[in-house]
Amino acid sequence: MMHLLLGHPDDPCCAGVFARLEARSLAVRVIAEPLAPPARLTWHLDAAGVTSSLYPDISDTEIAGILVRDIGLLDPQGWDPADHAYMQAESRAVILAWLASLACPVINRPDATQWYGAGAPIFAWRTLLHGSGLLLPELVVTSNPDAARAFRCRLARDGVAGAVYVPVTGAAGYLLGDDEAWERLAALQMRAPVCLTEPHGPVTLVCVVGDEVIWDGSLPPEAADLELALSRFAAAARLTFVEIALARVRGGIAVVLVEPKPRLEHFTENARDQILDAIVALLAPAVALVDSRVPA
Amino acid sequence: MILVCGSLADPVTELVCARLQSCGYAYRFVELGRYPEDYQLGWCWRENRSEGWIAGPDWRLDLDEISGVYVRFLGPEDRPLLPGFDACDAAALRNEGDLALIALIETLACPVVNRMQGGVSNNSKPYQALMIGRTGLRVPPTLVTSDPMAVRAFHEKHGELIYKSASAVRSIVRRLGPDQLERLELLRNGPAHLQAFIPGHNIRVHTVGERIFATRIDSDAVDYRYAHLDGTTATLEPVTIQPAVEAACLRLADELGLLFAGIDLKQTPDGDYFCFEANPCPGFLYYERHTGQPISAALADLLRGSAARSRHEAAAAMS
Repeated sequence: MMHLLLGHPDDPCCAGVFARLEARSLAVRVIAEPLAPPARLTWHLDAAGVTSSLYPDISDTEIAGILVRDIGLLDPQGWDPADHAYMQAESRAVILAWLASLACPVINRPDATQWYGAGAPIFAWRTLLHGSGLLLPELVVTSNPDAARAFRCRLARDGVAGAVYVPVTGAAGYLLGDDEAWERLAALQMRAPVCLTEPHGPVTLVCVVGDEVIWDGSLPPEAADLELALSRFAAAARLTFVEIALARVRGGIAVVLVEPKPRLEHFTENARDQILDAIVALLAPAVALVDSRVPA
Repeated sequence: MILVCGSLADPVTELVCARLQSCGYAYRFVELGRYPEDYQLGWCWRENRSEGWIAGPDWRLDLDEISGVYVRFLGPEDRPLLPGFDACDAAALRNEGDLALIALIETLACPVVNRMQGGVSNNSKPYQALMIGRTGLRVPPTLVTSDPMAVRAFHEKHGELIYKSASAVRSIVRRLGPDQLERLELLRNGPAHLQAFIPGHNIRVHTVGERIFATRIDSDAVDYRYAHLDGTTATLEPVTIQPAVEAACLRLADELGLLFAGIDLKQTPDGDYFCFEANPCPGFLYYERHTGQPISAALADLLRGSAARSRHEAAAAMS
């Protein structure tokens, strides 16, 4: 049986899981581009169900588990831009179907919403977060400079200086700390609505892996209540492996980041070890009980 | 009040607006060709609830006034250039604006035709085929492969094959002929999506909430949408399909989260039905014009909140 890690060998998560599986004498392979040679895909659907095979030397029924980190990008070299975009769309479509139909554990097994909605802004998760009992910072999406100014005043009244501008299409946030920044924002609002949220203090990172909630560093006082809510959220979002950042805002402790592709390098060494052990336990449950911890 | 987001340059959106007008259902229109420049919007998420508004040149609508939304986005080629911006910055700004509008629409509890989540499975036809199979509809034998040998074996087993894109990139369905069989080695560059050719009549089913409109298409073309390219024609007429197939189509639309769907079926000479795909943004104008089926009228009722399914959805969203 073979374990496949879809991603780059330099990705600390791939590297850490690879080392642990190999230390347990389990067959494991890191694959940066799943459809690149020697891959030869056959995915066959009929009334009896799906049969598939991607690699000539491993039948899909011999795949013990898959960790999905990244599926690479088709090298644009030599492609007409339109053809390249087409081939990229085709590859993504095909890999989604292949992953969705495998019988083995897939972390995270993607559905179409996750697959095509990668990089979704934090507010895209609001219904699931709210339903799980988790708080989201106040946020405003507006093309009206008056509404933006009203938000600034509301925060100032509560003793919060500035606001954070977060492009809807990006993950980075920009602190609007002075009048000049707010003027630039108003100019931007002439062209497109903007998303503003309240600034927050230091974050506490937590990673949910299967049933385990792994905190990075010291636990906040609300940890016990939060763990239940975090597990509920991960289950509702159908994420076996998810990184969440929590921070204190005016209304209490809130979720400020949901990352369905957790970055191991965000976590301290102890948390990394726990995360990797938990992933390995999901990918290779029968042998994970044997403690043979190796460094990430 | 109904909110329509689209472009009057698009005949499908134009028909929706005309139908709302003729039904006497009040609506506000966001011309996406001039969005976001000519429109303003605002919504906030505060204390675990959302509130907001959207405004046009001479109107303003609070979100809780909206009974239903019809949205049909434009392709990049249909968006006017933004003066003073290069193509990359212009596309980024358009994207920001569109996602902000989508975010606003997604906050609504009323019927939305269609929510983004409903459409994403269409980006992968083989993935959607898995979902179709779970609803009880049969899917033609399908092969996605980069292996020329596998195509030859599939061809041998099923005889006539068709091929089309696996993704949402629009493609014309074609028969696999001798020319393609000679070029199978090119599959090493990337997989192709093939299906066994199913003989019989094409049937397009439009589900509108809980209502069903089935249209039979008689054409010799493999892809009747492009019959004229093959020098053939297509004739359309309303048809009644088996109740079990109707129920499966409604189940599929429900499973995909689509209040309005265009489902492509084929009925074989033996009376079996096969399903090819579900379209989340159907260009139903073609079918309505040819058959007189009141698809747009049913859609108008759905958006007004007077259709049974929309009441059910609104109640579920509010619970």
